[in-house]
Amino acid sequence: MSQASRREFLRRAGAFGLLRAAAPLGLQLAGIGAAAAATRPADYRAIVCLFMYGANDAHNTVVPRGEAQWRPYADARPGLALPRETLLPIASTDAELGLHPALAPLQTLYAQQRAAVLANVGPLMVPIRDATEFRATNVPRPPKLFSHNDQQAIWQAFSPEGARAGWGGRIADLLAAHNDAPLFTAISAAGNAVFLASEHTQPYQIGTGGAIGFNRSNASSLFGSPQGAAALRAQIAAGGGLMEGAYGDVVGRSVEAHARLSAALAKLPESDPRVTLPPGLEKDGLARQLRIVARLIGVHDDAAIAQRRQVFFVSLGNFDTHDGQLARQAGLLGSVAASVAWFQGAMDALGLSNQVTLFTASDFGRTLLSNGDGTDHGWGGHHFIAGGAVRGGRVYGRFPEVALNTATDIGNGRLLPTTSVDEYAATLARWMGVAPADLPLVLPNIGHFAQPDLGFLRA
Amino acid sequence: MAPAGRLLSLLAAVLLAACATPGDAPPVSDPWAYPARAAEIRRPRSPEQPRYARPTPAEASRFLQQATFGATPQTLVALEKSGYARWLDAQFRTPQTLFLPAIEPAHAALETGKNLRQDLFFAEFWKASATAPDQLRQRVAFALSEIFVVSFDGSLSARVRGMASYWDMLGRNAFGDFRTFLEEVTRHPMMGTYLSHLKNRKEDPKSGRVPDENYAREILQLFTIGLHELNADGSAKLRDGQPIETYDLDDITGLAKVFTGFSYGGPGTTDAHFNRQSEEPRWDILPMKGYPKFHATSEKRFLGVVIAPQKTADPEGDLGIALDRLFRHPNVGPFFGRQLIQRLVTSNPSPAYVARVARAFDDNGAGVRGDMQAVLRAVLLDPEARTATPAGKLREPVLRLSQWMRAFGARSQSGEFLIASTDNPGNSLGQSPMRSPSVFNFFRPGFTPSGVAFGPRGLVAPELQLVSETSVAGYANFMQTTIEAGVGRAEGGQRDVQADYAPAAALADRPEALLDQVELLLMSQRLTPDARTRVLDAIRALPLPASGPGAERARRERVKLATLLVMVSPEYLVQK
Repeated sequence: MSQASRREFLRRAGAFGLLRAAAPLGLQLAGIGAAAAATRPADYRAIVCLFMYGANDAHNTVVPRGEAQWRPYADARPGLALPRETLLPIASTDAELGLHPALAPLQTLYAQQRAAVLANVGPLMVPIRDATEFRATNVPRPPKLFSHNDQQAIWQAFSPEGARAGWGGRIADLLAAHNDAPLFTAISAAGNAVFLASEHTQPYQIGTGGAIGFNRSNASSLFGSPQGAAALRAQIAAGGGLMEGAYGDVVGRSVEAHARLSAALAKLPESDPRVTLPPGLEKDGLARQLRIVARLIGVHDDAAIAQRRQVFFVSLGNFDTHDGQLARQAGLLGSVAASVAWFQGAMDALGLSNQVTLFTASDFGRTLLSNGDGTDHGWGGHHFIAGGAVRGGRVYGRFPEVALNTATDIGNGRLLPTTSVDEYAATLARWMGVAPADLPLVLPNIGHFAQPDLGFLRA
Repeated sequence: MAPAGRLLSLLAAVLLAACATPGDAPPVSDPWAYPARAAEIRRPRSPEQPRYARPTPAEASRFLQQATFGATPQTLVALEKSGYARWLDAQFRTPQTLFLPAIEPAHAALETGKNLRQDLFFAEFWKASATAPDQLRQRVAFALSEIFVVSFDGSLSARVRGMASYWDMLGRNAFGDFRTFLEEVTRHPMMGTYLSHLKNRKEDPKSGRVPDENYAREILQLFTIGLHELNADGSAKLRDGQPIETYDLDDITGLAKVFTGFSYGGPGTTDAHFNRQSEEPRWDILPMKGYPKFHATSEKRFLGVVIAPQKTADPEGDLGIALDRLFRHPNVGPFFGRQLIQRLVTSNPSPAYVARVARAFDDNGAGVRGDMQAVLRAVLLDPEARTATPAGKLREPVLRLSQWMRAFGARSQSGEFLIASTDNPGNSLGQSPMRSPSVFNFFRPGFTPSGVAFGPRGLVAPELQLVSETSVAGYANFMQTTIEAGVGRAEGGQRDVQADYAPAAALADRPEALLDQVELLLMSQRLTPDARTRVLDAIRALPLPASGPGAERARRERVKLATLLVMVSPEYLVQK
């Protein structure tokens, strides 16, 4: 977007902000995008956020496996340390690293250079040099550290619970004009998530089976009344109050989404071999979310929706491993790795793997110290980026020294992040086509960080 | 209170109460079990409360939408006669409907290695919500289950008996005192499992192990004081324009030490009893107790309290000190009170309303803090609760189904209300009781939908967090089927829970009267004139034979159509 059109965007966004957000959403963005539409990109691109709710223990996700580096890790968490020989080696320039043994499918993607690791990333207001600076000064830090719901919101939207606009939603604001049906710019297969919301974008929340219509809303007779269906269609969106209006808006989007999507999705049914889940994943909640995302991506070109830029959200919960961590985390990471690898296979089969990038996020990392059979709330963590556009097979950011009382340990092995979520997000936003000058619209704090592009994606 | 003794002295109080009124309470035969009833509380003889004229039918319905699982024709009449205050008094006296005794036989009959199905709990829930006489208690238990959250989703998936016990504990304390409640929540093995303070061990400098901080954090953030210092009206206190945090990481670390050394209840005291649930077959329903050997003896600092290093570990004493400190914190009244208002009455209470409820929490009129009956009176009899609020609250999905059951006298063919999980948002309610996805409940008290209508005006809409393009259609379709064919497991071609539409069907030839009745039972206020016209036209278009075999059926169809057209409408879905 040019400077002029950006100013125009802001002006009109402000003006439209006075309207009720949802019903006129398509109109708003179509209007704003009039200039941008002229420069509509030729290719299709999408990012998929996989959020691990409850806070994945990063210390047992990517682990030092050099003898000298593994030892302090193991000493710090008796009973929780993964045996050295079980770690799955991955190439890295700084240290010998290995993945959790449940991550074999991700190890393969990494070896194929289609996945990368971003080390020790987390929310920051400004860079903090080390734990001493963190303790000694009043350096600005994110509010409500270590609180699940707040840090989820901060990862997704840079503001604690109650946040109203996430960076996925802001990216969608800027790019929705490239889509014929802006309604489908931001889609969650995992329910409500502030990541995809903004003042102008309301995420479309789809079920894992596809769009759902209102039964018998066009029937010739409802309970024997020939006027029943018409009354049903009117009643589901009736009511003028604040909450009634909010509910009615969702109904309106639901009806429109079903009308546009059901025929399109029928062209790529679950039975299509390109998006069929193997028996082992058929009941996996995360894999099912990724299957509907794969189907939506597969039909992005359908005339009824015609999408060029999309932001998706999927999630898996129960990562809050205060106890029983070894068994629980293995199951969860196994699901993540298998689902992500399946998804990459589906993108390959659809011929879209270079155009779709999946990345992980989580509330925070966890303590290095054990509480017996689990870990407590931390801060920085390691994450994965996967897709054909990823400059894979590498670790980005700085992999921390895994031990107690290091420069990045702010207590009990809670990691002080060395890369900010802003930089992580900026790299993804740039790849999606957000202009450098527009990054502050998506990431208000990006000016505080040196590296708005971490380099893990090919332009 | 002397260490080691709070639980036992509570038990003693219950025993004394039982002695004072022989035959009134069952004797407590098991000193390790939860008490059978809440402890006695000093209460004012005639509580100070707003007086109201006898309610009109619409006003009575409005009250019953807030205080019960839905209005019925019978409870409407009863409330119109008694008035609110006497209705509350009667509910406070109504014996509790218990889930545990209904689950025990199935649990006892279980083969080793087998688990009960969650459906058993859901059936008890729906039976109680549809039919139990102690409606207020059950409704408040449901509200408490959304604040003091434990969930079948996760580590408790097989703990059906324990969850029934937790539910009964919520109900027992619904009219009790908050301090006892907080302790029973803390000690409950379901909470101990869910937030992992059960079997939590003291720190070990040798291995570097530290206490589990999970419960210490959530009891502060979610159950008692919240993140920010509050004024009595629930607004945040400010320093230099910024909210003041109530605790920091050091408070968590200090408080976490208090919650060490607690494990399985019952008489056993050995390390094996601490470590293994197999040592105590009723571990899932007995309150957790302290095991000194595993309890931290080092200094414990939190929220200005300092517990000196101990020669002899004192888990029970430390727990008492910590819970007393939290209970006495001035935040509890506005923090808890506001959430209770949100669960029962409105999403956006005025600060003055919150302050009135907080005042009732602080003092019930007889100098007692934390009297739940005083809090409930304040919540339900407040002028703001008794007049329509402009925004209201969205009815959560579980309550929509219970309201339908009660409005139309739904009966279970089996007598068991065999309704399984209602989780799926695409074809069901998108919500099952006690199956929140996390300790943060199905929805957050501060949830604000995106867009400009709410946030900039400082308004919240917690239940809207469950509303999506998928759930709105899923719910409407689910209600269509439910209204048409009933709900629950189908046996002999008929679903287990069936409405009795006959009373309403008697009005079928007078569409206006029929719609009046449906509106009264389900929503207390009226549809807007446009909507009314639309619904009436649709009803009239449904032909009603004067007699013959089709006549009765057509009458019922008119009721069903009216009910569906009301229940799918945002005008119904927002309770005002």
